Amino acid sequence: MIRYILQRLAGMIVVMFLVVTIVFVIVRVTPGDPAAVMLGPDATAQDIADLRSRLGLDQALLVQYAIYVGQLLKGDLGQSIFLNIPVATALLQRTEPTFFLTVFSLLIASAIALPIGIYAAYRRGSMVDQLATTVAMLAASIPSFWLGLILMQFFAVRLNLFPVSGYGGPDSSFFERMYHLMLPSIALGLVSSALILRFTRASLLDVLGDDYIRTARAKGMIERKVVLKHALKNALIPILTVLGLTAAVLISGAVVTETVFGLPGVGNLVVSAVLRRDYPVIQGALLVIAALYVLINFAIDMLYLLVDPRVRY
Amino acid sequence: MRRKLEFLVATALIAVPSFAMAQEKGGVINVATIGEPPTLDPMSSTADLVGIVTQHIFETLYTFDKNWGVTPLLAESLPEISDDGKTYTIKLRSGITFHDGSEMTSEDVLASLERWTKLASRGKQAAGFIASMEAPDEQTVVIKLTQAYAPLTSLLAFNNSAAIIIPAEKQAEPMTEYVGTGPYMLKERKADQYIQLTRFDGYKSRDGESDGYGGARHQYLDEIRFVPVPDPNTRVEAAVSGQYEYVDSIPVESFDKLKNASASEPLLLKPFGYPVFVFNTKEGLSSKLEMRKAITQALNMEDMLAAAFGSTDFYAVDGAFYPESYNWHTEAGVDGNYNVGDPEGAAEAAKAAGYAGNPLRILTSRQYEFHYKMAQVAAEYLKLAGFKVDMQVVDWATLTQRRADPALWDIYITHSPFLPEPALIGALSTSSPGWWDTPARKAAVDPFTSEPDPAKRVELWGNVQKVIYDELPLIKIGDFNAVAAKSAKLKGVDPAPWPYFWNASVAK
Repeated sequence: MIRYILQRLAGMIVVMFLVVTIVFVIVRVTPGDPAAVMLGPDATAQDIADLRSRLGLDQALLVQYAIYVGQLLKGDLGQSIFLNIPVATALLQRTEPTFFLTVFSLLIASAIALPIGIYAAYRRGSMVDQLATTVAMLAASIPSFWLGLILMQFFAVRLNLFPVSGYGGPDSSFFERMYHLMLPSIALGLVSSALILRFTRASLLDVLGDDYIRTARAKGMIERKVVLKHALKNALIPILTVLGLTAAVLISGAVVTETVFGLPGVGNLVVSAVLRRDYPVIQGALLVIAALYVLINFAIDMLYLLVDPRVRY
Repeated sequence: MRRKLEFLVATALIAVPSFAMAQEKGGVINVATIGEPPTLDPMSSTADLVGIVTQHIFETLYTFDKNWGVTPLLAESLPEISDDGKTYTIKLRSGITFHDGSEMTSEDVLASLERWTKLASRGKQAAGFIASMEAPDEQTVVIKLTQAYAPLTSLLAFNNSAAIIIPAEKQAEPMTEYVGTGPYMLKERKADQYIQLTRFDGYKSRDGESDGYGGARHQYLDEIRFVPVPDPNTRVEAAVSGQYEYVDSIPVESFDKLKNASASEPLLLKPFGYPVFVFNTKEGLSSKLEMRKAITQALNMEDMLAAAFGSTDFYAVDGAFYPESYNWHTEAGVDGNYNVGDPEGAAEAAKAAGYAGNPLRILTSRQYEFHYKMAQVAAEYLKLAGFKVDMQVVDWATLTQRRADPALWDIYITHSPFLPEPALIGALSTSSPGWWDTPARKAAVDPFTSEPDPAKRVELWGNVQKVIYDELPLIKIGDFNAVAAKSAKLKGVDPAPWPYFWNASVAK
């Protein structure tokens, strides 16, 4: 077990090193120049060259890479060119909206998907099952930002129940900030629920045909207990995987949804960094996102141990 | 009679307080902007968004009045200019304090102008003419030039790449402390969430009436918050719902939707600016004048503008670089050279110019959708004229990088607001992408920039415009209007290319 964990950790370090290198190269070979963006439309070539020099962007790529890796080894993600603050601070500032957007979206998605998925599997072929699978397919095809715009139009503009965009001003309380997350959470939650619903249904159906379920039924166990206690527990592994991956996608920033709702989250930070070519922020954010993916996958594997006694490392 | 008197008294009582209330101090406004400014140091960027936000924090020696004339701001009066136009003596206002409580002196002005000439694009433009700068006393700064350079006061007045005055000991680059003399000071910046400005109680406004960016600057509002709302559709919905007191840069097609909204009303800035196709005069296909003429001959500006802006409510077919409402307006060179739309004639002209089927590379972006729409129409006209068009649609960051390399493009598309002084037009500079540098340019531009008499300069600008049409370093497509939205409660805000809120108030 310990050997397995150590192996996984070593693997993670290799993955992170590859991520650092690949992101660094991709960012530098992509056309566009942060100096030109910062200086604005009327800057001359000489102005741009001067700023590039001040930012150290005129140095050889290998030198820049060595400096960057050296910084990383000291735990420094670098300094944002545009925000003029450390990348780690910029990321930390964006954590709250993205974290709670993820939590609310997952709660909404799970609250919809798990009971309906379980019921649809239990009543396979019924009206509810057919309706649920059809609606889920439809929901999976809807882009969350589009749904967001529709929700915005109805609930924020027509009914004035929610703010259209933003994350509250300087004096807004925690609850006011969370209130700004409601519409984007509903949009993301509804769209994410489709995948989770389909996985729940499929996974449970898979298990419901197993011998031990038949045995449980033959022993006269009530159906609710058969489904919820025996079948669901064993169907949880793929469901957990989907929930984990959905969480990873949301934490890494629901890029378009955050932009549409003007939320200052990680996704928004990455989008604006890419548009401005804020190299340190792009590199730092992608590194942290990659680390989160790796850690969430690792955590899911560890969770398997808890939910499935057959799994041994 | 008594009833009449009662009625008059009652209406007066209603009218007087409501007027007074409109000007009452207090209130917070939220201003939705197109995004997060790339920096809060207005010296280091020419981006309009930087100017819009930072003009509330920092001030310049001069600014522009409502007729786009230069008017003093931190300077006591317009500069005394020597007869040969080479010495500018600038008297400063006294009792001006920075946001950190220190008093502004000529030492701060001198240090700031030195930073400006080293760092800012427009400062570097002026630096080429500056022989020396000195401060003979605490309230005076003297700038000596190597030759007469009339645009200097306009350059000192402009709000982006701006010659802002900051304390002598706070000249760090990049800027670390945002200490100005403006009516509002920076309290907090949470990138992509808000920029919070609060009233500066030590502010000393100019006396008299407000006059465009000049004159008295009133501080009715307690706070101004700039909130980035990058998605244009979200800005429209936010304006309709009334979430923000002011929403900048609304797509023109949403004008009617805003007109029907109860919480907000549209603001039309007519005219705002002009889109241009800039030619690469240094290398490639368009380096040949005859080819530039053939390309221009093919284009129908009216169709391009209609595709980009939809209705004539939002554009005007106008070849003059300044519309009639500006004193710079002239029709010199326009007749017969603008909006020709003759692809057949252009095909013949291109053939005569030696066109051999090389692709004509049009560099554009969808950052501004109207650039892309105009490029599409232009491409069709150019294809009709026999040109092989290579449309290169890239993001704005890539465009700003690629246009700096003359080997990569033939035409790039951009736009500009109508600038208060023609010398600020980027394409007139030989170092600007396009690299227009000919004897005819020099013969027209140099007298224009060195002539101190304003009336003669207007006349000389006509010569510059004529040479632009003769040599075609760029093509003006037409005029276009800008749409913003303001809440019905927001008072004292007029349409402006760089909207300002120091005279704004909120009706309670």
